[in-house]
Amino acid sequence: MAPVVNIVELRGICKTYISGDLQVPVLKGIDAKVGAGEFVGFIGTSGSGKSTLLNILGMLDVPTGGSYLLEGVDVSCLSDSEQATIRNRKIGFIFQSFNLFPHLSVEQNIAVPMLYARVPGRVRRARSLELAKRVGLGHRLGHRPTQLSGGECQRVAIARALSNQPAFILADEPTGNLDENTSNEIMALFHELNNNGVTIVMVTHNPALAPHYDKIIRLRDGRIDDRPFEWEGGKK
Amino acid sequence: MMLPVDLLVMSCHNLLLHKVRSLLTSLGVIFGVGSVIAMLAVSEGAKRSALAKIEAMGTDKIIIYSHRPPPEGKSEGSENASIVEQYGLTERNREHIIKMDNVKHVTSLFDVRKKVLRGITRTDLKLIGCDYGFLEDTAAKVERGRWFSPADFENKVSVCVIGKNVKPKLFELGRTDIVGSQIRIEDAAYTIIGVIDNEYATKFQEVGGQNDMILIPMPTARARYQDYTYSFEGRNRNILRIEYDVFIVRVGEVGYIDHTSKRISAYLQKTHGTLCDWGMVVPLELLKQMEDTQNIFTIVMGSIAGISLVVGGIGIMNIMLANVYERRKEIGTRRALGAQKSDILLQFLIETVFLTTSGGIAGIAVGVGIGRLITRYSGMPTVYSLWSIALSLVISCLVGVIFGTYPAYKAAQQNPITVLRAE
Repeated sequence: MAPVVNIVELRGICKTYISGDLQVPVLKGIDAKVGAGEFVGFIGTSGSGKSTLLNILGMLDVPTGGSYLLEGVDVSCLSDSEQATIRNRKIGFIFQSFNLFPHLSVEQNIAVPMLYARVPGRVRRARSLELAKRVGLGHRLGHRPTQLSGGECQRVAIARALSNQPAFILADEPTGNLDENTSNEIMALFHELNNNGVTIVMVTHNPALAPHYDKIIRLRDGRIDDRPFEWEGGKK
Repeated sequence: MMLPVDLLVMSCHNLLLHKVRSLLTSLGVIFGVGSVIAMLAVSEGAKRSALAKIEAMGTDKIIIYSHRPPPEGKSEGSENASIVEQYGLTERNREHIIKMDNVKHVTSLFDVRKKVLRGITRTDLKLIGCDYGFLEDTAAKVERGRWFSPADFENKVSVCVIGKNVKPKLFELGRTDIVGSQIRIEDAAYTIIGVIDNEYATKFQEVGGQNDMILIPMPTARARYQDYTYSFEGRNRNILRIEYDVFIVRVGEVGYIDHTSKRISAYLQKTHGTLCDWGMVVPLELLKQMEDTQNIFTIVMGSIAGISLVVGGIGIMNIMLANVYERRKEIGTRRALGAQKSDILLQFLIETVFLTTSGGIAGIAVGVGIGRLITRYSGMPTVYSLWSIALSLVISCLVGVIFGTYPAYKAAQQNPITVLRAE
């Protein structure tokens, strides 16, 4: 066995939705690997099964076939409670629309995952401060999300995703709601984190982000698209 | 699972975000608990004052009294007819009763039926001959001066002890030398030796309240008036012959008071025949009846208050359900960040319980306020017992648990996928 285990390993992941007598296969056998410290992009148009894969990667949903290994452990058939624990400890979620709690301060927002991990208050505060500094918001701890710009909000969300030192960060269109400049800043922040050893999985429909990734996995109609990337856009 | 402290802080924080909504939501509980508190306070106050009055008569007593039988076959037209009318309890009754089992003591009262005048105005005061034990057998206290001495009885001295209401009715305001002064009643004069006060103004049927009596020793009364009294009714002059007006029977064993009272009434029925010239009151029985009616009252009022609490609880459930729907995104995000279903369930349940419990606390204040207003404007006594406050808190907490569980369950069952996809 190789000493280095893949953070994420998908083996023949299938997902079929059943509505009445009709079976709708959405994922038809996905094999993918994300190594430690990698910056991987899953790119797919809408209808490609991207969202379903995101849910499975984020442990919000279970596959109907295949297996999902997280840090070498099969997590494809866990109970709801075990899934929640894994989401809490192993996965750092970043959403397109930030999903911050509007009534909580920056510091409190960052600390939410630590609340569910039963981290004591003193440690939470220290760690929130450290993370806020890391994403460049050390001076905004007491602010409410409504007092922040979109880019700053996403920085808070990134800090929140990092708070329990997860195995990897799962970002869903993190720049979808941001303008180009802010987008670039956020992507730069992701690169900075990645350079410091954070594993990042990003799911997007936007081929323009392709040059940022170490590895690109394209989805098409529920399968991995093996054709070379240049074929599709080739703008950059 | 979150740390309990964090869970509490988070839930309270959420409620404080919507202060007005939280207040409006808990109004149902506030008024529900308020009415429970006020109802219990009024009911408890009424109960206590009634019980105190009955208890003042003494639960080991049987009170037997004479009362004038309804006139039968007497023609109202016979003018100037002078009739000797005899009724009521007699010396023979007294002697018989005193020998009965379980009867420890009999104190008697005799209303001499003399007009007590202040100047030329007639007062409602009564001149009563009483036994030595009368003070001890009633809950009266000597306010000033002294009670009769055995010597007063032996020597048939012309002294009297007055109830505290007698003083303002017979004397000018501000007189302090009441004890030692004399009262003239018709052709007799009595020296006042003491003033007594019965806190509960215990009434002895036709003889009236103890505070309105001018008491003289029974031997003095007998020596001076025998047992004949005159009364004038219209133009008829009646001579009444009444030996005793009231017997206060003290029993030895309270447990058998029921039995003793039945024996006494059986005896009186036998001797007095069909003449309805006596009556009997057993304070202990009154007490039991009183408690029964009070319990019914409490149950009825409690159900009304309970209904208002249920209505309040349903209101809360309704708003919490809307709240869950409104906060789907928050719930979904929390679940994605690692909240267990139980975390979400507890968060919403604690929010509801916190809402109803703080509503309950506010309701206690409202209830006490309502009770105060009732006391101020209607004079009804109100008593706030600790258990009624504790009960209200427990009930309001329970309302939260009962009506918060379903919304909290709904919140925990929210599927994070649908929520996050809805964006």
